[in-house]
Order: sequence, then structure tokens, then C-alpha cells
Amino acid sequence: MEKVAYYPGCALKERSAHLDRSARDSALGLGFELREIDAWTCCGAVPPVSRERVMNLVAPTRILRSVRDSGADMLVTVCDFCYNTLKRTNHAVRTDEVIRRRVNAFLAEDRSLGDMGAAGADYSGEVRVLHLLEYVRDVVGFASIPARVVRPLDGIRLAAYYGCVMLRPAKEILLDDPENPTLIDDLLTATGASAVRFPYRTECCGSYLSVSNPEASARLCRRILASARENGADALVVSCPLCFYNLDSAQAAIREADPGFRPLPVLYFTQVLSLALGNGPESQGFERHATDPAPFLEKLPSAPGKEASR
Amino acid sequence: MSPNDAGPGGNPRMRLDREKVRGAFGLRLVELSGQQVSACYQCGNCSSGCPLSQEMDILPSRIMRLAQLGQEDQVLRSGTIWICASCFQCTVRCPKGIDILAVMDALRQCAMEKGADHFGPDGIPGDLAARIPQPGLVGVCRKFST
Repeated sequence: MEKVAYYPGCALKERSAHLDRSARDSALGLGFELREIDAWTCCGAVPPVSRERVMNLVAPTRILRSVRDSGADMLVTVCDFCYNTLKRTNHAVRTDEVIRRRVNAFLAEDRSLGDMGAAGADYSGEVRVLHLLEYVRDVVGFASIPARVVRPLDGIRLAAYYGCVMLRPAKEILLDDPENPTLIDDLLTATGASAVRFPYRTECCGSYLSVSNPEASARLCRRILASARENGADALVVSCPLCFYNLDSAQAAIREADPGFRPLPVLYFTQVLSLALGNGPESQGFERHATDPAPFLEKLPSAPGKEASR
Repeated sequence: MSPNDAGPGGNPRMRLDREKVRGAFGLRLVELSGQQVSACYQCGNCSSGCPLSQEMDILPSRIMRLAQLGQEDQVLRSGTIWICASCFQCTVRCPKGIDILAVMDALRQCAMEKGADHFGPDGIPGDLAARIPQPGLVGVCRKFST
């Protein structure tokens, strides 16, 4: 089975463990293995606020360098923040000579960091950073999914929510059209589901403002959820741990303030994919969801013949 | 002229002089952000697309104009730079290709260099810190503190 170097990131090891589990299960269902890299640290979550803060680029560059030194030429990640940070760091190191030299000067002093610390050759952006969605689209191919689906999600209406940092800044990320993306929609369609389009699919959920200014973030989440609901969605589908948390956990407070608000289940694209590929609802970590996914699960067909074989 | 006198449209009058408009603040912004702040021609696309503009005291396009005019105090006192969620919507939509988020980031750094962190770990409630995925915790501290 094809093995792909995989960077889970902090959130997926703990608070978003259901994203990690469903990502690994989905990969196996599609015929490849996400092989976690041997040693890694936090990537820093966001790129530095200015070109002067080169120190903030050291951790992600060290991760990328260790991947290169392991012999891999690509690194797959699922968390949108990790993806944005690793990919933009890679871009900066590859295209900006001043940054490349400064970061490598720091890295040359790495000592006693075990698996990650051996100061090898300078890193200059050799590794290709891919989002899991990108790997499935470009390497596996969405066209190969329908043949592997054992639980077609026919008749289920799912609204893909893209958020911000997976697609933007588009000049560096180059993953999909930042204003009219189809990446998640196309994956959902391949599972048999109906992809619901709604106006707020690329609007920010507030990101880290849910820490510093939760009311502002909740107002954004409410607009997104209401818009998806108005367009007929049975559930909202995301890829980012922070989008998931904001949109999923804000709903209790929104409903408290407005009893007319109807909750909307929030799912990771990996959970949808994992279910379609035949894994059971019990392995999706739904107990971690604040908003009850039952309205979605009730529409889920059983997987004939497959359950018995597992 | 008192700075509190209302000018056209009720906006506060401002005094422009060469030292301010061509001053160190503008150069520092360009240096930190790598962006030509002077290229902004005030179309307002950033303000109309910003999902958080309703929460801001000064709209992003006006921040850009004030920055062009070297109005350091007004820009760095604005709540706008701490409401921006770094979603890149403005950056994607700017017809002049200015990375407006990079300018916001640079303004945050300028404000923090004056000794004012906006938000740090102490401001995070314990129950939230125990639940929210780490990118939120690390992200907010990296954006809003030194």
C-alpha cells in the first residue's frame, strides 16, 4: 500500500482526534496509508506577522527539512492552519533568498533535537506540501471514489464550507479558486451526496476571534449556518479544526439567544468520506460534537454486506 | 484649528504635513509588510468584502488611506487591527494586488512595538483553553502578542 508522509499537527492528536481518525480511515479506504512522520513539533499555526519575525519560520522549516531528509518528496496534512503555515513557509523559503539564508542559519545551530536535529543541508523548499483534499483530488483522483463507495450518500444534502486559510492567499496556496471553490463539493458529489451551494461558503467564521472576541465570531458563525440551512443543507461540511469548533460549539449560545434558530450538524469531510467508504458511525467520534449529528445520521443508509465483513 | 472640529461629512479634521505623510511610520509599514501602501486607490473592495467590517470602528479601506497619510496615532489606536481575523478576503479581492492583511499584520506589530500587547494567554478563560483546538490558542497569541 502506498505510504504518504503525514503531519497531523497538535489539534489532531487530541482535541480534533476524530478528524485524524477519519482521515486515516478514509485514506485506507482509498488505498493509501497516512504515515505519521517520526518526529514533529507545532508548526506555529499562523505565519509570522512580518518578514522580520524569521524565528516563527524556524519550526515549520525544521519539520519540512526533516521530511526531505527522510527521503519523502511530499507531505500531506489535513488541518487548514497547518496546511497554510507549512505551505506558505515553504513558499517563502523557496522564493525569498534573504529568508532562506536567515532561517537556515538558525537551523544550522540545531543541537540535540533527536530525530529532527541533525543539521543537514540547507532547506530550500524541496518538499511539496499537500492538503489531504488535494492529494485525493490530484493523486488518487475523485473519479476513483464512486467505485469504492459502499454506502452511497444519495439524497443527503451537504453544504461545503471552505473558510479562509485553506484557499487563501490564493497566489501562494494555488489549491482552488478562492472565490468559487469546488474542491469539497466535488468530493461530496463523488460520495453520492448532493452538494448544496450557499453564499457564505468562503466567509470567515472568525478564526481565532473565538478566543479573543467570541461574540463577534458567533455572529459570523450564525450567518454561515443560517445561510446553509436556508439553502436546504442537512449538514455543513468543513476541513478545519477551528472552523469545526467555532461552527459546532457556537450553536448552543446562538439558540439560547434566538429560540427560532435551528441547529445544523457540522461534519468533517473526512467523516463523510469515511462513512461513504463503509466505516461505521461509531468510529467517527461523534461524541465530540457539541451539535447533535443525529439529523444527518438518520438519513444515512446502512452499508449492505460491508458491516458483516468488518 | 482644533483637531476636534468636524470637517466635511462629520469626519474629524486632520493636519497634514510633509513630515507625517513621508515620515518613518509609512516607511516602517512598507518595510514590515512588503506592500506598496501608496498603491491603494480607495475603491473600497476590502471594506465591502470584509466579514468583520460591521465590528470595526474604522473600515479597512480607510485604514489604508490613513496609513498613506501617515496618521499613525489614529491607525494604531483603532480597534480594527484587533478585530481583523486574518481571513485574507481583502487580500484576495484587492484589484491593486495589495496584500491588505499583511498591512494589518504590520500595523499590529507597530502597535505592539509601542509596548501594547492586545491579548495574551492570561485573557483566555480556563474552560475555553481546555476545549478549543490549538490553532485558535496559538494563532491568537501569535497575532495579538509579542
